[in-house]
Amino acid sequence: MIISKLKEAIICLGAGRVTLPYPFAPHPPAEGFRGKVAVDPEKCIGCGGCANVCAPRCIVVTDPSQDTRVLEFFLERCTYCARCAEVCVEEAITVTEQFETATNDTEDMHIKVEVYMGSCQRCGRCFETSTALDKLMVTGFQGAPESGE
Amino acid sequence: MTSQQVIQEMRGKFGDGLRAAEEPVPGALYLTVDKELIRPASRYLQDELGARFVISAGIDRLATEGCLSVTHIFSRDKEKQFVCLRADVSENGAEVDAITPDVAAASWSEREFQDLVGVRAQGHPDPRRLVLPDDWPEGVHPLRKDFAYDTNPEPVEGAEMPFKEAPEGTSTVVVGPFYPVLEEPAQLRLFVDGERVVGCDYRGFYNHRGIEKLGDSVLTYNQIPFVAERICGICGFIHSSCYCEAAEEAAGVKAPRRARYIRSIMLEVERIHSHLLWLGIAGHILGFDTVLMQAWRIREPIMWLCEKITGSRKSYGMNLVGGVRRDIPTEIHAELLDCLATIEKESLAVADAVQGDTTLLVRLKGVGMLPEEDARSVCVVGPTARGSNVDIDARVDHPYAAYDELQTRAITNDGCDNWARVVVRLEELFESIRLVREGLKTMPDGPLMVEFADEIPAGRQGIRTVEAPRGEAIHYLVTGPNNRPDRWRVRAPTYQNLQALPLMIKDETIADVPITLGSMDPCFSCTERVETVDVRTGRQALLSKEDLIRLSQEKSER
Repeated sequence: MIISKLKEAIICLGAGRVTLPYPFAPHPPAEGFRGKVAVDPEKCIGCGGCANVCAPRCIVVTDPSQDTRVLEFFLERCTYCARCAEVCVEEAITVTEQFETATNDTEDMHIKVEVYMGSCQRCGRCFETSTALDKLMVTGFQGAPESGE
Repeated sequence: MTSQQVIQEMRGKFGDGLRAAEEPVPGALYLTVDKELIRPASRYLQDELGARFVISAGIDRLATEGCLSVTHIFSRDKEKQFVCLRADVSENGAEVDAITPDVAAASWSEREFQDLVGVRAQGHPDPRRLVLPDDWPEGVHPLRKDFAYDTNPEPVEGAEMPFKEAPEGTSTVVVGPFYPVLEEPAQLRLFVDGERVVGCDYRGFYNHRGIEKLGDSVLTYNQIPFVAERICGICGFIHSSCYCEAAEEAAGVKAPRRARYIRSIMLEVERIHSHLLWLGIAGHILGFDTVLMQAWRIREPIMWLCEKITGSRKSYGMNLVGGVRRDIPTEIHAELLDCLATIEKESLAVADAVQGDTTLLVRLKGVGMLPEEDARSVCVVGPTARGSNVDIDARVDHPYAAYDELQTRAITNDGCDNWARVVVRLEELFESIRLVREGLKTMPDGPLMVEFADEIPAGRQGIRTVEAPRGEAIHYLVTGPNNRPDRWRVRAPTYQNLQALPLMIKDETIADVPITLGSMDPCFSCTERVETVDVRTGRQALLSKEDLIRLSQEKSER
């Protein structure tokens, strides 16, 4: 009994103080950490691939007019899986190391990207909006679930 | 006995009652029998083949086959095989004979498909609700296909759970739903004679999240791994791995060798941190917080390494159907091995110190007894089973990931008490460290993901198991149209282990109930209702959600 208690005391003394001074000193995450995503509106082509793979459905695609597409990221629902960044063919979505996302204002966790869908800015040819939209509807892509409402 | 012999013998016994038998992959035998035969066939599997009951799955097949079905899943551990026994029932005559009178371990499973799919288990000794809330309307079954995932039925006013009556001469001690030790909701009603527990009643599932429903109505195949991972906050990787393996089996593909090694390595890393976490909590339950502080201190470096390898300290997000998303590059091997060496050294020191500590021993030895025959009849799994000398371990019995090459053994102990379960976990901790080392050494090069040429066809089945730190987890999948499963059935290990609790706490004192419950490393989930008991009069009153809101508003008014 006494020997056990002594052994335990030695373990505790050997460990010393391990508590980190965080949040008074910064404690950056390891490289490759999956934090809050960032979106580069210049690179986005509005394909909607990110919304299609998003498990918590926090990326919402709407077409307010014929040649504009709006992608909204409601990141308060984000589960930080980084699948959107993984599937983005244009590398418009990147994963940052930001993890201190607690806020009183949900706007801080809201990203809105407007994409002009008129003509391809690279080759100048007309960009067929319907193709990208149709692609979201074919089998194999995430369709809207049947709602009871 | 081979599958062919099993089929032949069952044909001899049940004749044309055995309607279909197929074995799409070795290790998974699917049998369909007439619904009248479900009870004798289950009895045959258990009593004559020595099969262990695993779980049941109720499935709504009205749209595809015009029937509802119930599948009882058994495991023949030494033959490395699952036997799935299916019976179909019509929508109007939605009832089957309960198998619980013969197969005690099926009790919760049968109550669950009664609730969720609406197939009545006729002759069930305890047919009360299990999963659905008390105020859920009768006749509404959420796993039916005509029930949309976001339906919110009108609650039934004044509905109450019919709790068991306390036996003559005993009083009831209500523990929970806000459980004082584990910070997870479940209600235990202990029937006590003085300080001695003579029986109990259980009500849980307060925060049932309907994840299976999401899987077959909202998510797609490759979204499910990320939701599956959130079934458990401590050992989530086992669920995403188990789901992916089941989906791969249904799709007829296999993850590349290197990906399967990475799964095995991360699964063992998860076991290391989970067992250390548990050791700390066990100490905390006993009021010995030194163990908590030191076990969690030793554990922390492996969490940081997980963040480095996977991108997150928990919820690794590594798995997809067909492989893994990130590699464990050679550059990180040295750091991981160093970390393991430190953990091994420090855990040995802690194990050595606590093994002679009478403060712990008097609380653990001979307490929470679960004799081997009871453990076998309730079909407990994991360290709870192995601490009662039942040598089952999914890594050995149903090899998955890379465990066909990374050989291990089921670590058992014949103590059958809380201490035996501590010893089993400590030994497993060191075995896991060995497995990670071996895995890193022998991991082959190659791709991480297999390419899919086609979509997964509908109507296929897959069943896989993964040995979680708490015991065997099962994922059973029936593929469907629209790029998502038709049914995704999950059984977490605690589901089976909790059913043994009444046996484990019988004749113990109230003070030993928390650690006995803790000894199975349970994992339940939050609630919205409390019960008050007037200690002087013994009068019990239920506070409804409305009462609670009113009380809290009154409290905060100035």
